[in-house]
Amino acid sequence: MAEPVIRRKTYALVYIAMLALTLATTLLAFLNMGPFNSVVALVIAVIQAALIAGVFMHALYESALVRIILTGSVLWFLILITLTMTDYLTRSH
Amino acid sequence: MAETIQILPGREALAHRHHFATPEQQRETVMAGMWIFLATEIMMFGGLFMAYAVYRLGHPRAFELGSADMNVVLGSINTALLITSSFTMALAAHAAQEGRLRGLAWLLIATIVIGAVFLGIKFSEYYAHFREHRAPGVWYESKPNEPDPGGVEMFFVLYYIMTGLHAIHMLIGIGIMAVLWLMTLAGRFSRVYHSPVVVSTLYWGFVDIVWMFLFALFYLPGLHQGR
Amino acid sequence: MIAAPEVRTEPNYLNAKEGVLSWLLTTDHKRIGLLYIASITAFFFIGGFFALMMRLELLTPPSDLVSPETYNKLFTMHGIIMVWFFLIPSIPATLGNFILPMMIGAKDLAFPKLNLASWYIFNLGAAVTLYAIIRGGVDTGWTFYTPLSTTYSTGYVVGAALGIFIAGFSSILTGLNFIATVHTMRCPGLTWFRLPLFIWSMYATSLVLVIATPILAITLTMVGVERIFQVGIFDPALGGDPLLFQHMFWFYSHPAVYVMVLPAMAVESELVAAFSRKPIFGYNAVAFSSLGIAIVGFLVWGHHMFVAGQSVYSALVFSILSYLVAVPSAIKVFNWTATLYKGSVSWDTPMLYAIGFIGLFTIGGMTGLFLAALGLDVHVTDTYFVVAHFHYIMVGGAVMAYLGGIHYWWPKISGRLYPEFLAKLSALTVFLGFNLTFFPQFILGYLGMPRRYAAYPPEFQMLHVLSTAGASILGAGYVLPLIYLTWSWRYGPKAPPNPWRATGLEWQTPSPPPVENFEETPVVNYEAYDYEAMKEKLALG
Repeated sequence: MAEPVIRRKTYALVYIAMLALTLATTLLAFLNMGPFNSVVALVIAVIQAALIAGVFMHALYESALVRIILTGSVLWFLILITLTMTDYLTRSH
Repeated sequence: MAETIQILPGREALAHRHHFATPEQQRETVMAGMWIFLATEIMMFGGLFMAYAVYRLGHPRAFELGSADMNVVLGSINTALLITSSFTMALAAHAAQEGRLRGLAWLLIATIVIGAVFLGIKFSEYYAHFREHRAPGVWYESKPNEPDPGGVEMFFVLYYIMTGLHAIHMLIGIGIMAVLWLMTLAGRFSRVYHSPVVVSTLYWGFVDIVWMFLFALFYLPGLHQGR
Repeated sequence: MIAAPEVRTEPNYLNAKEGVLSWLLTTDHKRIGLLYIASITAFFFIGGFFALMMRLELLTPPSDLVSPETYNKLFTMHGIIMVWFFLIPSIPATLGNFILPMMIGAKDLAFPKLNLASWYIFNLGAAVTLYAIIRGGVDTGWTFYTPLSTTYSTGYVVGAALGIFIAGFSSILTGLNFIATVHTMRCPGLTWFRLPLFIWSMYATSLVLVIATPILAITLTMVGVERIFQVGIFDPALGGDPLLFQHMFWFYSHPAVYVMVLPAMAVESELVAAFSRKPIFGYNAVAFSSLGIAIVGFLVWGHHMFVAGQSVYSALVFSILSYLVAVPSAIKVFNWTATLYKGSVSWDTPMLYAIGFIGLFTIGGMTGLFLAALGLDVHVTDTYFVVAHFHYIMVGGAVMAYLGGIHYWWPKISGRLYPEFLAKLSALTVFLGFNLTFFPQFILGYLGMPRRYAAYPPEFQMLHVLSTAGASILGAGYVLPLIYLTWSWRYGPKAPPNPWRATGLEWQTPSPPPVENFEETPVVNYEAYDYEAMKEKLALG
């Protein structure tokens, strides 16, 4: 697969989106939404991570192997969290 | 510095390693190698994020109290700075791909400077916490009148370990970019050979991603309660 | 008098460059494999020495040869050295390094310099751990459980952990190198489903190395930070949880078991095919079972914590998932056995080890099912039953396969043949000695003898004496190959390119191979282990 070259305009758009998301997540954190505060903060962080990985780090433009490695490692992190939580969320004391 | 940068003859032949059949195979292998390395980094930080999840679940209130001590102005400025540095680094990779060595050199400098400012702000925050005895271990003191439900100190333990590990990664990244800058001046890179720059962009992007989560987990939880 | 050694005249990787520096600075995967063999052999015998001291102490019921404190250090250092400085690098870093690029028709691994770096990192980590051992040792057990390791232990915990932390990066680099190599460096025509099963298993091993090792690194870092700064990451007084350590530790250490046994299975597939002169029965099933073991291996770590205080629900989930590992493991055992059927089986030394592996691995695996059962595990947790179980997997499985592999590829590595009679004798000695050492331990454990104790009630003495006697025989079985292989390195008869008439690409180049492995890049147009298609070629070789 040939090396992907991404237009500077795309980079710039992502840059602006990233700054906007940072502003949004900071402002939203001042509202009291109960447990949804963490949900909103994490969802926005995940979107930001996806933008960086996809465009700044070219994951969207690279070979399938790169995306497999990326999704695989995220999946394994989720295994670590999920199975550990089967313990912590079901403790009786 | 720009006019003096010239690609030295013979460099491109040197850049192609003999055990690869084609330069294309070499590029793919290098990219795969770097992404596998980043997978190990995801798992390494992942262990810490899991510790954070377990302890925050155990002490939800304490983690909000601890977070209320974070300086969100400095935190969000740092977030914006790091995003900017990722942007300049992505542009550096672009410049390298097009063989614009002068632009490459300046964009690397910009990334290094922004990264250094980030670290400066980060260390000033550490110092402020330290003066308030918000440093775990023997220095730690609960605030007078603080309704510590148990776990505030743990918040700070994780805060120092996780942001500290992140700062170490930033220092390494700045070191790498300094080397890249020297290599650029020495005319090592060209439109054909620039994989060290592209690979370093991946590393810097990863460091940025980690910070997005650190910002969300350490700076934001304490904001909504009004201080 | 022994005749003067024959001079190797044809250019090969051994004689291409001379001098110590040409070895210390080499980026040739074959030479790095040999460097690793030197390192891990040294650690095998150091770890073995600690085991021998333990077995001698256990000859008599009271703790008389060594004090209980010393005994604690002995089993800790035996575990640390054998797990991290022998078993984990054993097959991947030696045979994997040497054979993997040749099997896929590549000139080298993807990142030769990283490969050399991994050897230096490994030795640096080993040096740090050895320093901690010489300064006074560690007494926490190889598992570094909190709060013993963070608060109460007086040993050199941080030093030992730092050494393991460093050595972990050599594992990561090896795994990274193998994955990248298998993906991008296969020679023309060598599709995924034409790969020897060795490669599939080694690939699965590399996945585990790359995904699990970073968690160990960060866990040991947390232990180190807690111990140095006294900040209580796992301390309940600060809202911490000692069990979190166990979750993180076993998320690494259970898959690490598969880092030890998957490469053994890799070797096993090659040996069974080569000495039955048949393709492995059910190639696809064996290939996918390697990946299956690597994946399911990540879902079962909680079975180390059944009595540690995790929730009942969690224990139930982990118990059920643990049974699942038996499925891919059993697929492999059945398929190797089925391969023997109607094969033309020959009983050369590597095959003796291979058959021994199947038997011992089966016993080890079946007793693993006992331990996965929640109720039974409560009875045998932390007894010699567990010790016997994992030694059947790690010594009966991994070490047997390692020795089988070393004998099988020895002609390729050294260009010399080893003495067949002595080799068969050693294989038999190892098999008998091993069973005599560890089978009594199953009974001991079932009767209630706990592990990690220097003293025991007199009624257990008979079984302990049997075990110690077996350990001495086992030790002799391990020293024997060290002697005759060293001899054969210089004085053994010259080996032909393909002494076993096997099908792998590594056999289609001279022994020892030239620097870049092949005179010209091979092209593969046949399936793995296809003895029919290879008939003419093999007859010529």
